[in-house]
Amino acid sequence: MKPYEWMVKYTPQTEWIEQRGIFVWLAEFSGGLGGGLYLVSLYFNSLWGMLISWLVIVVLKGGCHLAYLGKPLRFWRMVLKPQTSWLSRGLLLVILFIIFGAFQLVSSYWLPGTAWELVFKVLAGITAFGTAIYAGFVMNYINGIPFWNSALLPVLFIIYGILDGFGIVIAIALGGSNIDIAVAEIGSRIFLIISAMILAIYLWSATYMGPAGKHSVIKLIRGNMAPVLWIGVVFCGIVIPIGVSAISHFAGEASASVLVGGIICGMIGALSLKYCFLKGGIYGPLIPSGIY
Amino acid sequence: MTRWGMVISLQKCVGCYSCVISCKQEHYLPPDVFWNRILISETGKYPTVTKQMYPILCSHCKEPACVKVCPSGATTKREDGIVGIDYDKCVGCRYCVIACPYQQRTYYADGKKEYFPGQGFTELEMIGKKLYPLQPGTVVKCNFCVERIADGIQRGLKPGVNREATPACVIACPAKARYFGDLNDPQSEVCQLIKEKRAFQLHPEFGTEPSVFYIA
Repeated sequence: MKPYEWMVKYTPQTEWIEQRGIFVWLAEFSGGLGGGLYLVSLYFNSLWGMLISWLVIVVLKGGCHLAYLGKPLRFWRMVLKPQTSWLSRGLLLVILFIIFGAFQLVSSYWLPGTAWELVFKVLAGITAFGTAIYAGFVMNYINGIPFWNSALLPVLFIIYGILDGFGIVIAIALGGSNIDIAVAEIGSRIFLIISAMILAIYLWSATYMGPAGKHSVIKLIRGNMAPVLWIGVVFCGIVIPIGVSAISHFAGEASASVLVGGIICGMIGALSLKYCFLKGGIYGPLIPSGIY
Repeated sequence: MTRWGMVISLQKCVGCYSCVISCKQEHYLPPDVFWNRILISETGKYPTVTKQMYPILCSHCKEPACVKVCPSGATTKREDGIVGIDYDKCVGCRYCVIACPYQQRTYYADGKKEYFPGQGFTELEMIGKKLYPLQPGTVVKCNFCVERIADGIQRGLKPGVNREATPACVIACPAKARYFGDLNDPQSEVCQLIKEKRAFQLHPEFGTEPSVFYIA
C-alpha cells in the first residue's frame, strides 16, 4: 500500500498478522485448539487429552503471546483491566486455566474419583471454554473493522476449537487410548457440519456489515486471500474431513492413515481460518475518495 | 472541567505538511512514526476533480476505544480530555493500535532505525533520544503537546491563544487552518467555530466522540 493510499483506500490491519504478528495467529489457533481439546477430553475423560491441551496452552499459546509482546517482561500488567479489556479478561482466563488444569491433572493422576478432582475439572473446563472463545470477543469488540464486528465470531472460534479437539482426541484414540473412536467420529462429524454452516452464514452476513465488510469477504472469496480460503479452509478443513467421515460412516471404519490424514487437514483448515480472519480485517477509508 | 479540542478548517488547509513536520520536530519522532498525517481525498473524474486535504491526528476522543481495550492501563484519559500513554506500563500488545478506528496510533518497533541508514544517528536524533526518549516495543501517539500545555498553564499562558502553550501543529500552520481550545468553554474560539461553521467530527458512527472537528 502506498503512503497516499493509507486509510484512503480500504486498509488492512497488519499488526496482528504481518511480521511478528504471525505469533498472534499461532496463539489464537493454539488457544482454540487447547481449549477445545480440553473440553472434548473432559467428555471422554481422557487424561492424555487434558495433558496435551494444557501443554498446548502453556507452551504454544503462552510462548507465542510472549514472543509477540513488545515488552514481554511486563506481561503481568495485562491482567490489570478486566473491567473493560477483553485481552485482560482472556489472559486471566488463560492463567486460571493453567492453574486449575495443573491441579486437575495432579488430582486426576494421584487422587482419581475424589471431590477435588471433580471441582478442578469443572473449574478447568469453564476456563478452557473461556480460553477458546475469548479471542473472538477480543476481535469482535473492534468496530473499526466491520468484518470482525459480529456476534458470530466467538461462536465460530469455539466451534472450530471443539472441532480441532475432536480431531486430536481421535488421534489419541488411534494411539491406543480407551476413547470410543466411533463416538468421537460422530462428534467431529456434527461439529464439522455446524462449523461449515456457521462459516458460510458468517461470510454471507459479513457482506451486510457495510462496504468494508463486503470488501473483506470479496478479498477472501475472490481476492488475494482466495487460495487460502478455498484450499485451506474449505478443501482441507471441510471437504477432506467430510470425505473421511463419509468413508468411515458408509464403508466401515476408515484406516488409521486416512483418519490421521483427515485430522491433519482439519488442523490446516483451522490454521487457515484464523489466518483468513486476521488477514481479512480491513478498515474502511476515513475520507471520501474515488480511488477505492 | 476543561476538555481540550481542535478545529481544523479544510477550506484553509493547503496540504503543506507543516503540521506533520513540526510535530516530528517537536517530539523528535523517529523514522516511520507520524503523529500528524495528511490524507488526500480525490473525488470526481477529469476535468471535474475535487481534491481535499484532511489533516488527521489522534482525536483524543471523549469515549476512546484505546483506553477501554488497553489491558495494562497504560493508555488513560486525563481529566482535561487528553488521552495519554504511560510508556513504562505499555506492554506492546498493540490492541489499541487495532482498536483505534482512526488508526492514529503507531507501534514503535525499532529504536535503532536511523533517518540516514548506515550513517549513524544525526546530532538531532541523538538530542531527541535524550530529550524525548520513546521506548521501543511500546505504542506511541499524539499527545496534544501536553508538555507545552502544562508548561504554558504553569506560566499563566492560555493554550490556543498563546503560542508557547499551544500544540506545535497549530502554531506551525501557515494558513492558520488549525484552532485549539477548550471545548467545554462556550466562549472559546473552538466552540464558536464549531457552532457557527457547523463543524463535523470524522466518522461519528464509531461512537468515540472525537475532540477534533473539521470545517468544510
